[in-house]
Amino acid sequence: MRVTQGMLAANSLKQISNSYNKLETLQNQLSTGKKITRPSDDPVVATKGMAYRSNLSEVNQYKRNLTEAQSWFDNSESGLEQVNSILQRTKELVVQGLNGTNGSDDRQAIAREIEQLKMDYMQVGNTQVAGNYIFNGVNVGAPPISENTSGMIESNINLDPFSIEVSKGIQLRVNIHAENIFGQGSFDLMNNIQTAFEQNDVSSLKDLSTQLDTQISTLLAERSELGARSNRLELIGNRLDSQEITATKMLSDNEDAEIEKVITDLTVQESLHRAALGVGAQIIQPTLLDFLR
Amino acid sequence: MSSTFHGLQVAKRGMDAQQAALYTIGHNVSNANTPGYTRQRVSLETFPAYPAPGMNQAGTAGQIGMGVEASTVERIRDTFLDTQYRDETIKVGYWDARAGALEKMEEIMNEPTEDGLSAVFNQFFESIQDVASHPSEAGSRSVMIERAEAVGNTFSYLSTSLKTIQGDLQKERDVAVTQVNSLLEQMNNVNQQIQNVEPNGYLPNDLYDERDRLLDELSKFIPVSVEYTKSGENASAPSEGVVTVQLQTSRGPITLLDGQNHQVNAISLKTNQDSYVTEIHIGGQSRNPELFPQGKLKGLIEASGYIDSSGDKTGVYASMIDHLDEMAYEFVNWFNDKHQQGVTLEGNKGISFFNDVSQKEGAATGIVIADKIKQNTNNIAAASGAAGTDRQGDGQNAQLLSQFRQNVLINSGNQDVSLDGFYQSIIGQMSVDAQQANRLKSNSETLQGAVEQRRQSTSAVSLDEEMTNMIQFQHAYNASARMITMIDEMLDKIVNGLGTGGR
Repeated sequence: MRVTQGMLAANSLKQISNSYNKLETLQNQLSTGKKITRPSDDPVVATKGMAYRSNLSEVNQYKRNLTEAQSWFDNSESGLEQVNSILQRTKELVVQGLNGTNGSDDRQAIAREIEQLKMDYMQVGNTQVAGNYIFNGVNVGAPPISENTSGMIESNINLDPFSIEVSKGIQLRVNIHAENIFGQGSFDLMNNIQTAFEQNDVSSLKDLSTQLDTQISTLLAERSELGARSNRLELIGNRLDSQEITATKMLSDNEDAEIEKVITDLTVQESLHRAALGVGAQIIQPTLLDFLR
Repeated sequence: MSSTFHGLQVAKRGMDAQQAALYTIGHNVSNANTPGYTRQRVSLETFPAYPAPGMNQAGTAGQIGMGVEASTVERIRDTFLDTQYRDETIKVGYWDARAGALEKMEEIMNEPTEDGLSAVFNQFFESIQDVASHPSEAGSRSVMIERAEAVGNTFSYLSTSLKTIQGDLQKERDVAVTQVNSLLEQMNNVNQQIQNVEPNGYLPNDLYDERDRLLDELSKFIPVSVEYTKSGENASAPSEGVVTVQLQTSRGPITLLDGQNHQVNAISLKTNQDSYVTEIHIGGQSRNPELFPQGKLKGLIEASGYIDSSGDKTGVYASMIDHLDEMAYEFVNWFNDKHQQGVTLEGNKGISFFNDVSQKEGAATGIVIADKIKQNTNNIAAASGAAGTDRQGDGQNAQLLSQFRQNVLINSGNQDVSLDGFYQSIIGQMSVDAQQANRLKSNSETLQGAVEQRRQSTSAVSLDEEMTNMIQFQHAYNASARMITMIDEMLDKIVNGLGTGGR
């Protein structure tokens, strides 16, 4: 083939420009850390990347929801712990009251303590966390337990579960069955015990003592259920952690550049570029004219 | 018997011919860098000999040569390569226009990144989930409204930016039409000049070059076929004549430039109010944009949008704008519908979260949060079930709303897909289109480059070669001049040296 100066120049320019393009691609990869800069570089990577990102975003959100659920469990648990102390103290007082050595005055004193315990019980039922009444189902804006005008305690608990989505499609109930612990029956029982002491009515105390035992075992049952759900949450948490790792890894595998490879390629490309420039300068310069006098 | 001064005449012709060759070398060297220039060569032929061969010629033994003649100056060019080159140029023009348009679109859509629409969707999802787990909290409700606003803004930004680029492409398309018409006009002028010169027996090589360059230029925009009509009278044999340019369409050719009658049929585009091309008019004929052949012009028409034969808006940008509108429309309607089924913090039945969007067209720019929601975050219907004030901690409806991406169904090609699936598929489609355009652009550029190499190999000026020829012709010139000196000496001998015996 007949080759002319113009062709050499054009070719040389084309090669150098190609070389610049490759350098640009590699430098982009290096500075962004990504394999691709635009979707057309690799449509599969691009669309997968979108899916992985929304996946990761969901996992992160579920982890946040999980923290929220954990906070409900912790606060509920400490409420139940307080109720437990109240009931145990009441039990002690009832056992003490059944003892025949107590006089009428002693029983009046016990009645006062029971009254205080009852009020305490009510306050626990109205526990607020971040402005939410956690023992009132979904009606978190209103206290579940109140004192009416005649001083009687009224419990009106919302029965709906407060659920939080902790994983795609999995909703976990985060509140306890408050009606079992803070229902009208519990306060009636406390009230009856108080009245029995006030009226020195030892015979009915025996029956009330049995009811109190039932209440305590209900509490235990509720605590173990809460514990079981907390365990489940922990399992879901572990799963979310590993999902996050997997999703992050997939995202990275999909679109992150291998830096050591990019740097090696860049070094190779740089030397090729240097060579292309050098050769171009050598080839283009001399013509026959340089050797004619 | 030849004449006394025969030798002088032969030597003079020799000098003339070598001089013509040298001048042509000068012309070649000067134009070594002129785009479209074809190197020229002088054809040297022997001058008719004396005596002319014939039966009754006064006989000398054999003929005496009468020297040389510079007969024609011809271009060294291969028209087959021109055709190949133009075929590739058409493809380069088409794919370049398409790749350019898609490249800008990729920049606008900006996926997958932390700022694209799908990232905004992610944030919106997160904010709704926060409302679902803290339904009574005004803070998380406000965040949800802000994020919803971001969704609306992103849709609107994408749609508006796409329309801006589409407008630019429409301008570029109109400029391309003007360029095509101007090229035809220039070619017509060149034709006229050629027709003025050729009948006198000249070869207007530089005009041929100019015409071929214009044809190369034209073939970026549209595919053309050319026919040559010879000039009459005293035109020399290698003369090429005037060119007639035709556009080949699937419904037969249309003449763009009639060489003999010096008539140009300009291309004009008929557009609708949105500046979408509806028809293409050329010389009294019209073609639907779909039937218009490939080239840069077609690429620009496809990118900026046209009305296809069934009356629908079509085109790279048009379809992306449509897709966004469709997504926005389905999203708003689904979201409003689900939101209305919920219960607000104040215990009322939910209202529309976004202002209702009644039609698909323009939906992407019309996502606006309802005033009542904006003014009072309590109006977000996070709760489910019956209306009532005792459901402040109910986030069930918000949870349902957070599934907006999985549940919005868009009918795409007889298949119901989710909003996420739809968006991923349009981004996928765009990237595949762009990838294809880039690949074919690069392929056709490579092929064009290869043909151009071969064309250059034939037609380009090589300085080394010209210098070598220069030396060759220079020596021939000098030798002819030396001939004259020799004959001069010979004549001197005859005139001044003979018959002087005894002086």
